[in-house]
Amino acid sequence: MNKYLGNKTAILLFILPALLLYSVVVFYPMLQVFFRSLFDWDGLTPGTFIGLGNYTRLFDDSLFHTSVYNGIVFALVITVAQIAIGTVLAFAVAEAGVRGRKFVRISVFIPVVLSITVVCQLWMAMYNPEYGLINRVFELLGISYRQDWISGSKTAIYALAAVNAWQYMGYHFALLLAAVKSVPEHYMEAARIDGASKFKAHLRITIPLMAETYKFCLIFAITGGLNAFANMYIMTGGGPGTSSYTLTYMMYRSAFRVGEYGYGSASAAFLVIECLIVTLLINRFIARQRIVY
Amino acid sequence: MRPLWYRQPFKHGFLWLYALLSIYPLFWMISYSLKSNDEIFVTNPFGLPLHFRVENYKTAWESFNVPVYFLNSVIVTCATVVGSLSLAVLFSYAIARMRFRFSGAARIYMIVGMFVPVQVIMIPLAILMRDFHLANTYGSLIVPYISFNLSFATMVFYGFFRGIPIELEESSCIDGASIYRTFFSIMLPIIRPALATMIIFVFLAAWNEFPMALVLISKETLKTLPLGLLFFQGQFTTDWGAMGAAMTIASIPTVILYMIFSDQVERALTVGSAVKG
Amino acid sequence: MKKWSLLLSATLLISALTACGANDENEAGASKSASPSASGSAAASESASPSADAQKPVKLKIYAQYSDDDTKLPYDYAVAELKKAMPNVEMELDIQAQDDGQKLKTYAAMGTLPDIFQANLDIINTFKNSNNILQLDEYVDKLGFKDKMYPSTMNTLVTEDGHSYAFPYAGNEVGLLFYNKEIFAANNVQEPKTYADLLAAVKTFKAAGVTPLSMFAKEKWPAVVLYDMFVTRTEPEGILKLDRGEAKASDPAYKQAAEQVVELVKAGLLPKGATSMNYDQAAALFREGKAAMFINGQWEIEDSTKALGDKLGYLYIPASDEAAYEAAKYNFSGGGGPSGYAVSSHAENKEVAAEVAAFLSEKYAEFKYTQRGTPIVATKVDLPVQKEFPPTMKQLSEDIPNMKTTAFAWGLGNAKFKAAIEDASQSLLTGAYSADRFASDVDKAIEQSK
Repeated sequence: MNKYLGNKTAILLFILPALLLYSVVVFYPMLQVFFRSLFDWDGLTPGTFIGLGNYTRLFDDSLFHTSVYNGIVFALVITVAQIAIGTVLAFAVAEAGVRGRKFVRISVFIPVVLSITVVCQLWMAMYNPEYGLINRVFELLGISYRQDWISGSKTAIYALAAVNAWQYMGYHFALLLAAVKSVPEHYMEAARIDGASKFKAHLRITIPLMAETYKFCLIFAITGGLNAFANMYIMTGGGPGTSSYTLTYMMYRSAFRVGEYGYGSASAAFLVIECLIVTLLINRFIARQRIVY
Repeated sequence: MRPLWYRQPFKHGFLWLYALLSIYPLFWMISYSLKSNDEIFVTNPFGLPLHFRVENYKTAWESFNVPVYFLNSVIVTCATVVGSLSLAVLFSYAIARMRFRFSGAARIYMIVGMFVPVQVIMIPLAILMRDFHLANTYGSLIVPYISFNLSFATMVFYGFFRGIPIELEESSCIDGASIYRTFFSIMLPIIRPALATMIIFVFLAAWNEFPMALVLISKETLKTLPLGLLFFQGQFTTDWGAMGAAMTIASIPTVILYMIFSDQVERALTVGSAVKG
Repeated sequence: MKKWSLLLSATLLISALTACGANDENEAGASKSASPSASGSAAASESASPSADAQKPVKLKIYAQYSDDDTKLPYDYAVAELKKAMPNVEMELDIQAQDDGQKLKTYAAMGTLPDIFQANLDIINTFKNSNNILQLDEYVDKLGFKDKMYPSTMNTLVTEDGHSYAFPYAGNEVGLLFYNKEIFAANNVQEPKTYADLLAAVKTFKAAGVTPLSMFAKEKWPAVVLYDMFVTRTEPEGILKLDRGEAKASDPAYKQAAEQVVELVKAGLLPKGATSMNYDQAAALFREGKAAMFINGQWEIEDSTKALGDKLGYLYIPASDEAAYEAAKYNFSGGGGPSGYAVSSHAENKEVAAEVAAFLSEKYAEFKYTQRGTPIVATKVDLPVQKEFPPTMKQLSEDIPNMKTTAFAWGLGNAKFKAAIEDASQSLLTGAYSADRFASDVDKAIEQSK
């Protein structure tokens, strides 16, 4: 079997096309970013080598601190929301006998299908403090919790994260649904015969069997959150002031608005390393053992 | 026995409410595309338009060459879907099932692509496209799109391949089938649900992609639909209604495609789980 | 099942083949990439040699704004005029995106700049350093462009280093504090002359349920204009002095202005969610009579006159007392800087491109002057005005000779300072950001960019 699955020619044939393309088009430009992060560079001139100068400046920059903090908040909000709600929806829809499950299944994915511009426009209207639906709902419920949402310096980052969590819920839902469906039926039945409640059965049997998918969803949500950009770009421009900056947004500002491409590259390099560490940690601590049916 | 929804009203209530909330933007977008700026922002942001301003569609249609942009989007997107899925499925099979020293390293190497911020590599990428003489060809979008979707697709396929029992390959090996045969006629059919899911994911990513298209394409005959929005966003004012119309025109195909493939996913899912039983 | 996998294997095969093809091409591309000039404007290189006489057809690529009436109509007019004057020139338009210059800078990095592009001071400075923008002094002289300019707008043609890099069309535009006379009268509010008057007015409007000031502060520059308006009461050069590093944000004039903005905001100056309002939303509040005041450049006059007619006016900015008010009356925030149609230094037909750029700028200004009701343009126009100036514009044109201006945020030369003051000024509008932090954040950026 080792020989069968260790067929060198086959491995090369399978791996090389993707590896080559990826290395040239994605990885090589990224290496350039790392290299350029050591330069004082405006993106067009040759630039001057300044060693780790950009990095020391970075760690001293309060905008960088805000951006890192916001990235973590954003990642946490979307991870918790998407995985928790995604799981509930996936299990509910997977269950036979649920009324309108096809409708639910199709609808949940609709926000993903629409472009991010549409979704951001919608939520800007929802968050509007005067006419927005959200404040109106609070009003109807008789709660005096009217907020500025995306224009409040404390609430902005949460409000943006909520939009992202909501829009891309469908991805996690679809992945988790596929995983639930591929758990063999007899595991579930066995669990129920034993008298375990449904919730416990899921927790003890089904969810561990889906570990690989969860691992992926976690990586996807956290790194996606740390990389957040489009929501800020469309809805707040990083504002009010700098209160919804993230690393990617900071990098965009440095590179294109301030003309410090080298400095922007340093924040991008930091971001890539941050994501890589998170990924390695998740890989190390979740589902280390191979699942055996 | 009473029906399930009757026994579990909360669960059903939550599900239906969530579904309605998710489908609302579709309704909202279409209404939006039939309103004036005033209605969109002040008088009537959420409901049906008071007068159906069909002229927004006329404006959108006349502002740019919709059929050409549309065709370009179709070409670029289809090539991206085919290219990135085939490359990713091969790659992930090798790293998930086959045995070689660097499979773990190859996987981590590939994962990095998921969190490279596109904005910062834009200039190196654009220079690369020029050096490959791809600038202002379909290739200058297709090649980056395929490459940037590889990481995500690979990771999804990897998860699925890992979940397949090893006995399948063992018995296939004993039957004397080559590894290629095993891959194409046993493995691929099993991961059909994943393929169907990823067709949708990659299609959406390529269809809606804006930042790379903005920077890499300047030839009018090669522009894709998301670039149509540029025609309505001025330095200060924006014709939001017409922009809504353009967005609706661009979104309808994805919604339809999704409806078609979503059923395919569901059916494939049922078949897929049967194999494992 | 079988069909499905057959289809897949077929697509796999095809894409494997195309992938190989792509790789081959890549290698070929890499080896050939040593000829950077090949990537210049392909269209221009096909059509004519540099020494082409005027009759040979020339195709020029242009990157310009073209998305609303204010940019589409003048552009179309200018190109139509060009067709008459230089029938051999064909323009190929690439529409400018609202993307902080990202696309243009990428073009420059790739060496594929269009022949002509609209450049602001930021682009001029960046491209100057990397030798991407053509120095136009020679053509300015040859075409006699300086004679066509108003003496007062010469600052839009010549940069600090004494050279010209773009043919300007816009003059020294100014930021104005517009007001709705009817709302002021209905609430018994006089035009405020002192800061105390203004604060009282804000409170009166607020109590009456009228938004005192509408602002599209999702864009950051209007916030800078508001701040600059208060700075210019005591320091006529306003933010320009900070931009040049000649003053600090912690100096009294600058600090006090920040404190005043914070105080006004806390008194309820702005509508809720002002920092996420776009232009269309903010303008609607003002034009529908829901907001008493509005901040924008003078180009707003045309559209707001349509909605408000005689009710529209603009205020001179209130100062500490009446004497200071009178003294600083003509200190305006905003102003022009070097900007306009620029030519790439890699253009194939530099001479034709420069000539066309100058021509377009002139015609652009002509159209704005005669048909868009804008007296503030860079070049003299001797055609009769087809559309009479609105009354507010008349008042402004009377003020112009006395006017001292600063600069709009986008006309600042120091990019780092510009980004910092934009962020900081917008933060002031939240009311949760102190004048002290404003001063220290801005000063840090000034310090760093020295």
